[in-house]
Amino acid sequence: MVTQSALTAGPEAGGGKPVGPKDSKGYKAFTWFNGTFLVLLCGLMLYPFVTVLAQSFSSAGAVKAGLVNVWPIGFNLDTYKVVIANDLFWSSYKNTVIYTLVGTTIAMVLTTLLAFVLARKQLRGRNLLIGIAVFTMFFNGGLIPNYVLIQTLGLKNTMWAVVLPGAISVFNLLVMKSFFENMASELEEAAQIDGLGWWGIFRRIVLPLSKPVIATMILFYSVAIWNDWFAAFLYLDKQELFPVTLYLRNMIAGASSAASQGAAAAGSTKEAISANIQAVTMILTIIPILCIYPFVQRYFVSGIMLGSVKG
Amino acid sequence: MARAGHLAGRRARSARAAGALTVVGALALAACGSGGGGSTDADGEATDLECSTESVADEQWKAAEPREFSLLWTDWADYPITDSWEFFDEIEKRTNVKLKLTNIPFSDHEEKRSLLISAGDAPQIIPLIYTGEEQQFAASGAVVPLSDYADYMPNFKKYTEEWDLVDMVDDLRQEDGKYYMTPGLHEVSVPMFSVIIRKDVFDEVGAPVPETWEDMQKGLELIKAKYPDSTPLADGFEGGAITNYAAHAFGTVAGWGFGDGAWWDEEAGEFVYAGTTDGYKDMLTYFNGLTEKGLLDTESFTAADSGGGTVTEKVASEKVFAASGGSWTVQEFATALDAAGVTDYELVQIAPPGGPAGQMVEPRNFWNGFMLTADAAKDENFCDLLHFTDWLYYNPEARELIQWGVEGTHYTKDAEGKYTLNPEYTLKQLNLNPSGTIDLKKDLGFANDVLTGSTESIELKTSYNTPAYVEYIEAIQETRTPRDPMPPHPLDEAELEQSSLLGTPLKDTVDTATLAFILGQRDLSEWDDYVSGLEGQGLSGYMDLINGAYERANS
Repeated sequence: MVTQSALTAGPEAGGGKPVGPKDSKGYKAFTWFNGTFLVLLCGLMLYPFVTVLAQSFSSAGAVKAGLVNVWPIGFNLDTYKVVIANDLFWSSYKNTVIYTLVGTTIAMVLTTLLAFVLARKQLRGRNLLIGIAVFTMFFNGGLIPNYVLIQTLGLKNTMWAVVLPGAISVFNLLVMKSFFENMASELEEAAQIDGLGWWGIFRRIVLPLSKPVIATMILFYSVAIWNDWFAAFLYLDKQELFPVTLYLRNMIAGASSAASQGAAAAGSTKEAISANIQAVTMILTIIPILCIYPFVQRYFVSGIMLGSVKG
Repeated sequence: MARAGHLAGRRARSARAAGALTVVGALALAACGSGGGGSTDADGEATDLECSTESVADEQWKAAEPREFSLLWTDWADYPITDSWEFFDEIEKRTNVKLKLTNIPFSDHEEKRSLLISAGDAPQIIPLIYTGEEQQFAASGAVVPLSDYADYMPNFKKYTEEWDLVDMVDDLRQEDGKYYMTPGLHEVSVPMFSVIIRKDVFDEVGAPVPETWEDMQKGLELIKAKYPDSTPLADGFEGGAITNYAAHAFGTVAGWGFGDGAWWDEEAGEFVYAGTTDGYKDMLTYFNGLTEKGLLDTESFTAADSGGGTVTEKVASEKVFAASGGSWTVQEFATALDAAGVTDYELVQIAPPGGPAGQMVEPRNFWNGFMLTADAAKDENFCDLLHFTDWLYYNPEARELIQWGVEGTHYTKDAEGKYTLNPEYTLKQLNLNPSGTIDLKKDLGFANDVLTGSTESIELKTSYNTPAYVEYIEAIQETRTPRDPMPPHPLDEAELEQSSLLGTPLKDTVDTATLAFILGQRDLSEWDDYVSGLEGQGLSGYMDLINGAYERANS
């Protein structure tokens, strides 16, 4: 899917000429340029990641002296042992896994159901409902009212404060809605004639045909929840509830803002957590999310494009 | 580099969030109305509270009945709080007070603190408040005017008088004549940041340890002659640190210490804007001179600070031989030098050099203190709460407990007042008794970052510091004079808002111009243009505001 569209788009983008034979000079030059450019771009994106990876295997002194670039200096696995032995890291990690699983499940159920309903053109008040949803994209109550709301609902210091407020992302909802809208209505009609109710249509016809968009949405939601620290930062006051991102942020931003703290307070006696521990924590935190990508990737492009382009 | 940029972006974002919070918080609280506590003219009068016991300075205070008070606890990632910390048990044993904690991560603790206070959900005791930070909360009545209850804080009273800090405490008064936070008190004024030099290199080129900025320049020139590739002086804090501690020597304020920019002109008897003073120009001229001679590492003035990382690298690769930092930076530099294989180096944190204005340093007798939220005043045991916080922050035995643990159990003190940890205990952060197995800070919660260091007598300050730092303290005490604090000029709520509207762009202009002048991007002959630029931004209106507040406070 991807390569095909790249091929057809390629020559046009390269010289504005009509599509020529594949072995034409212009095309070759373009592929060469394209390949080099993408490899460079790729390297640019990968570089910080590789550096952090190298730092995670290096000695603290070498990292501090700025010797580590893309290859570990003073190779050791001790830092990994230290971080892995840290109970707080793992309890935060466990929280993140739970929040992500529960949060993604809730978000998927709610978003899919709402998108399905909103995709029915015959639904009365449909535009109003969409309007309400879109309204929340542009306006919200603000930080303190939201905080007071969560507090009054008794959600503070519970998992729900993290997983419920963001359960429906309007952007995801709209992508999904347009995906459903573009599904051949004949399928539904046929199903209705065969005696399926709305629930049956949704479950037996629509869902099985929506794997790409569902996979994409799962990816969107789980990455968003996995990476999120702000909701947890706002609504959780107990360390045992913190997700790993908050733990990581405290470790990294906390250490490096010792300097900016100085600005406010003319100094802080905090020593920074050594950079290699930070690096190891970062690597361990992103591994699971890195693992999800390859599995979902094949749905990714079709999933997000399908809804938007057609129709 | 990518990481630093990323963090800087985040920081900028959280700074914006903090700004937004402040505004929203002020609005929300303006609606809530009155501040807590009684209203009085003189401190401590007309506010009779019921107390369970008496509190006397320097004596152990203990509540008659078990009490529970809530406290905002900032968590550092490397010293995570645990339930088993003996620290809290010991406090409960001594005072009958159980602390109920609200945990917030250090990375964004200011934002969260604003949020909690603004939403009326904050615990009673808010520690880690630096002077000035209470203003926004005081103006909206979210915190208790502690000056009304000074009589219930005997330790605080005693040590402000004994250490001659009464005038400085008076400077904390807001427009209504009350102060809303009490700071940690330091018996001696020691600047946290100053220059750390490679003394061996200064010796090698025959330069003495700089006593003035002039000495410093001579030393740097000699070093440059010997190491032509080097840019011997660096800051690592975007110039904020070095201009802060250097400004006092030039008779002005700058960098981190710029504050609201008000500088007291003794002769004129009024405030002038520090960024337009001759002292400020002299300072810029001096640093610009260093840049022109290639003595200043200009990169360290522009790179986003990531805790001085890049400067540490340059120190390790011997491109920089003098840089800003605190006592902990010495250790950082040493680690980097060791890793780079440099031997026989000697790093010394020197007292901030003097200048045209004399051997001056900033007055830094105040460190972080605490506020009490307005809700605390409604607590039926409010008096006990005051007694407790007074004990916790200002009682010498409490301070000793926080820093060192329990005498006999964790440490012993000999006849000369030397503290020694018992063999099984260690305080790795300060490299004390490294062979011990139980860490005083990590395992037991003593020497924690929330309460330690706030109030310190000379004795306590020297008890845990390295001999090198004790020398630094002594050098400061013997050879430097703390600048007189500025006269108070408290603004009321409307003025505060106006001053932040006017003052923020002014300060931005000063910050930008300061760097441009120092780095030679702007010629100092344009000084007058710069000053008239400030005038055009409403400088006179801003100064009228401050001088008006000063006159009101003194009438």
